[in-house]
Amino acid sequence: MLLSLVIFLPLLGVIAIALLRGMGPSVVKGIAFTISLLTFVISIGLYTGFEETATDTAFQLVEKENWITGLGISYHIGIDGISLWLILLTTFLTPVCILAAWNSVEKGLNGFMMSLLALETGMLGVFCSLDLFLFFVFWEAMLIPMYFLIGIWGGERRIYATIKFVLYTMAGSALMLVGILALYFQNGNSFDLTTLSGRFTHDSYLFLAFFIAFAIKVPLFPFHTWLPDAHVEAPTVGSVILAGVLLKMGTYGIIRFCLPLFPEAAALHTPWIVTLAVIGIIYGALVAMVQPDLKKLVAYSSVSHLGFVVLGLFSQSHEAIQGSVLQMVNHGLSTGALFLLVGMIYERRHSRMIVDFGGLAKRMPIFASIFLIVTLSSIGLPGLNGFVGEFMILLGSFVEGAFSKWYVVFATTGVILAAVYMLWMFQRVMFGKLDKTNESLPDLNSREIAVLVPILVFIVWIGVFPNTFLKPMETSVEKVATKVQVPRSTPAVGQVNNPGETQKPLLKQNTEIRLSHEEEAQTK
Amino acid sequence: MPSDIIINWSLIMPSLVIVATMLIVLIFDLFDAISKKVLGYITIAGAGIALVESVRMLRTESFGTQFEGMFEVDAYSLFFNIIFLVSTILVVLISLSYLGRDDKKQGPYYLLILLATLGMMLMAAGNELIIVFLGLELMSLSLYVLAGYFRDNPASSEAGMKYLLLGAFASAFFLYGIALIYGATGTTSIPEIAQYLTDLTAESETALPGPFLFAGVFLLIVGFGFKVAIVPFHQWAPDVYEGAPTTIAAFISAGPKAAGFAAFVRIFMEALPNIDTEWNTVLIILAILTMTVGNVIAIAQTNIKRMLAYSSIAHAGYVLIGLAAANSEGTSSAIMYLFIYCVMNIGAFGAVILARTADGESLMISDYAGLGFKKPLIGMLMSLMLLSLAGFPPFAGFVGKFYIFKSAVEAGVEAENNWLIWLVIVGAINTAISAFYYLRVIVTMYMREPEDELEFKPYPSTLVIGLVLAAIGVILLGILPSLIVDHVQVIAFN
Repeated sequence: MLLSLVIFLPLLGVIAIALLRGMGPSVVKGIAFTISLLTFVISIGLYTGFEETATDTAFQLVEKENWITGLGISYHIGIDGISLWLILLTTFLTPVCILAAWNSVEKGLNGFMMSLLALETGMLGVFCSLDLFLFFVFWEAMLIPMYFLIGIWGGERRIYATIKFVLYTMAGSALMLVGILALYFQNGNSFDLTTLSGRFTHDSYLFLAFFIAFAIKVPLFPFHTWLPDAHVEAPTVGSVILAGVLLKMGTYGIIRFCLPLFPEAAALHTPWIVTLAVIGIIYGALVAMVQPDLKKLVAYSSVSHLGFVVLGLFSQSHEAIQGSVLQMVNHGLSTGALFLLVGMIYERRHSRMIVDFGGLAKRMPIFASIFLIVTLSSIGLPGLNGFVGEFMILLGSFVEGAFSKWYVVFATTGVILAAVYMLWMFQRVMFGKLDKTNESLPDLNSREIAVLVPILVFIVWIGVFPNTFLKPMETSVEKVATKVQVPRSTPAVGQVNNPGETQKPLLKQNTEIRLSHEEEAQTK
Repeated sequence: MPSDIIINWSLIMPSLVIVATMLIVLIFDLFDAISKKVLGYITIAGAGIALVESVRMLRTESFGTQFEGMFEVDAYSLFFNIIFLVSTILVVLISLSYLGRDDKKQGPYYLLILLATLGMMLMAAGNELIIVFLGLELMSLSLYVLAGYFRDNPASSEAGMKYLLLGAFASAFFLYGIALIYGATGTTSIPEIAQYLTDLTAESETALPGPFLFAGVFLLIVGFGFKVAIVPFHQWAPDVYEGAPTTIAAFISAGPKAAGFAAFVRIFMEALPNIDTEWNTVLIILAILTMTVGNVIAIAQTNIKRMLAYSSIAHAGYVLIGLAAANSEGTSSAIMYLFIYCVMNIGAFGAVILARTADGESLMISDYAGLGFKKPLIGMLMSLMLLSLAGFPPFAGFVGKFYIFKSAVEAGVEAENNWLIWLVIVGAINTAISAFYYLRVIVTMYMREPEDELEFKPYPSTLVIGLVLAAIGVILLGILPSLIVDHVQVIAFN
């Protein structure tokens, strides 16, 4: 019941707001914030109720009810160590977003809050579903509120952006639907995810049917073109949810469906997927570097960051996969915070152009300090969250990766490029001469600080004590990693680069280095 | 043959109720003192009683045949009765305010709707090609008049005339098809045709039924194709939908289409299962054409009625996927889809009527700019229906499409027919294409600023009741599809 409560509580808020028409705006905001905060508080119960060491069952807090018996569909939900963090990320970001949007919605406040809450239900449903049909329902239903969020409350080219977003996703999910149906018949006429096992016929095509849908969502280069449009035109909180959670639905789909269900096909397709991921890392970083618009810069940095995640997921290395999952959360926090900060400065100055700013650090010291921490977190400064994830991905795929080490070498340049574009941007916005028009900009108010501080807490927490987050996902990641490592022994997959025996000690060594580094950070 | 005909009145009760209602409407129409609106309420009451009776018969399984096996009362025909009667009730609900208080000609309007409904019920129950044809003509002739109902409006007259001419051609094709099948098999009774074909294949494996049967079947497909607007026999639909009164456009797009498919399925699944590989390929090609042409042309439309016309063509294509699957799951998914489609399509047309202005209906999609915030009720209902038509969960349209795709994949896997898998892929891509034009209306309503101020009429209560009923249906069936899935799975006879 707990899990269902978390999923559908926001929907209750939607109904409440719809029924209580004619309420003042503060009441609507109050309802929305209370409901979303309550959802977060209850979802903490998922964490405390989660048994880290349980190895007998993959999923916990499982609920299963017959839903459409005639079609073999059941309402089947549950969580594992991977979805746990994405659920918590979602329930955490939603109240933050509602608080952030407190004064920025001018028209249709009720609709805005309803969309946001409905979106939360949709996203949570995606992360909890253990039935393929249920998953698809949430996956598609979630498009509607996002479509309205971008289309009604977005910027100038919002209509183009929102239709592009919906059509890209729908085109991908059309194929996934056929894939789901094909799986149904190979699964003994059931949509149950937990009973899917063995090698499926045509698994290469099925893998692609799922993967393309997820790759569009991630987005993997070259399916990324909807992302800059959607991000730039979306309202601030729309961007936060989009970057923070929606993109993770793509990577979550890969780790939940593509890898464990079709390990052979995944291994077969790894070379080109990883190539695209590395291209995405470098391309995203280079394009971000030359953006004159702050929001676009952050949007392209997402393409780059998500490239790391995909690289790690396909490395077949336990450590890199774990890093990828952590990096999903990290990216949600850092990029979410960056979009919030850009939104705050936009509300003051009504411009997002880097050239319009300069010397803001003098006028807005609190803003500048928070911005600096978030920037460094995004770059991957040791001690902050981004470092842990990226380091694990790069180390794991370098040592144990199922592909040539050169991929990792090229990917690593993305880290350097990230430092270039982020710090250069920070320098141009914060330092230098203060423009006359910017002299009267007020610093962050207490509400805005309250929005950002919780995110900062987690940024530092993950950076310093990553084990709080890594441990619960250990068993689940191990399960995926074992599954994808199976095809290594089969000769059918020629491209797979078997790690020699001599490399094993190296991995151990490196892991020890990493751990000792963490201890260092902790003692600091 | 038995010389005395024993009539089991209880078996034909739903049809009898409709006939009685027609007579009452006819008589009440003579008295000017009675408000013409009362006729509408009588129609609703009559259809309601027939609906309740059909549901009761379905639940108690009071099945049987009448008139020497020509009239078959089974779960199949009773469920289609439910589809027709629900459509009729919804259409009358949205018509009450549309026709206006002072319209003297309202009597015939309701009479013709009832007559068309009776025709549809005959089509679904007809176990004999002649009865099917009788029902088809009863329905079509009423619809020709209804399409041209606004005599003073040239567009409406044109719609009626066009529908009459093309529909008459289609009926002729259909009749010719029956004649050829009779020539080939020596009977027009559906079970006897099936028996003939079974005997034929029993004699020798390679025996072919002869060219006349194929020609007859082909002509039947052409005739049905016209009636349910399948590409390439769809040309009449946009013009008729645009010109006809909006309520009648809703009516034509719903019940008669379901009736056409009802007879189609019965003939092809019951009489001709032995030659299914031949017509199966034809159906697959028709389905692909119908979906793709309907959806692609709908994108270019600026008039919402024309857009809905092309969308309803595309939806006939989805139903064809279920038929092409040619198994019992395919049939039940097609039936379920027709039911859901009727409710949501009437809802969409009803929302168009709701957006009436002082100088008539606002039919250009651009007129809807800013409507979502100015008239939240219209915006909400229209969005709901369009999202359901586009196949977004958690609305009924999604479940319907999902079931159809599922049954086709199942049939494809079982028969190792890759064409069916490709058909489903084309269908799924078409869903994405269709989202573009459905969403565009929502974009206009919510995301564009109005160009000029249009004065919208106040909401008539009966119309709102009809729409709210449709909306509840769309949401309820989307969340709890078991309500009808379980029933339609029992129905499929194969």
